Amino acid sequence: MPAEDVPLPQDPADALAAVAALRRLADQLEDSAVEQAMRAGWSWPDVAEALGITRQAVHKKHAKRLIAAGVTLRRRH
Amino acid sequence: MSAIDDYINAIMKKGVEEAREDGSAATEAHHLLLAIAAHEGTAAHRVLTEAGLGRQAIRDALDREFEHSLGAAGVSLSSFRLPPPSRDPDRRLKVGASAGLALERGFSACGGKKDLRPAHLLLGVLDTEIGTVPRALSLAGVRRVDLMARVRETLASETW
Repeated sequence: MPAEDVPLPQDPADALAAVAALRRLADQLEDSAVEQAMRAGWSWPDVAEALGITRQAVHKKHAKRLIAAGVTLRRRH
Repeated sequence: MSAIDDYINAIMKKGVEEAREDGSAATEAHHLLLAIAAHEGTAAHRVLTEAGLGRQAIRDALDREFEHSLGAAGVSLSSFRLPPPSRDPDRRLKVGASAGLALERGFSACGGKKDLRPAHLLLGVLDTEIGTVPRALSLAGVRRVDLMARVRETLASETW
């Protein structure tokens, strides 16, 4: 269904639950997409720029789990 | 350490595992519900099981709630096909706001810590009309108020 066809939920509980679910989905997508990019050889600065956040923030959030998963991390692209 | 301390520790530990499996940054009330459902030998576990709410049934209901809530914003989970991310097994998780409220409500459902039992914790998780737990139960066709009444009955008649 195209997004423009979806009316805003009338019930505030549904609208708020949609916000919570979208945040959760965004977090899941970020984890997957960052890992995919780093496995493909992207650098931290490039991933950070693509996400619109600082390099320090993306590194702090993802470096440990990617190192634990054995992903080879590059400093520069 | 008392039996209830052991129980709370076990539930919090299992809740963290459930949250990690979810990729969640915090342990939330629905993770505690999963943990309570997975811990056998309590009246709380039995009430859930008798209502058809084993650990897997709750997991399924939570997944439905997630998809349903996304659907309200026109987003379909099946539209995204990225591979599942690696998890950090040592990541420290916070106690989320909903889990904090559930614990507070559980503690205040009994007279004092000496009287605290697993069923009080379940009551604390169930005692809200707002959030993921009541929405998931509703989608699973479970009447939360009936479930709470059943839990209260066990508190009157059972010791653990």
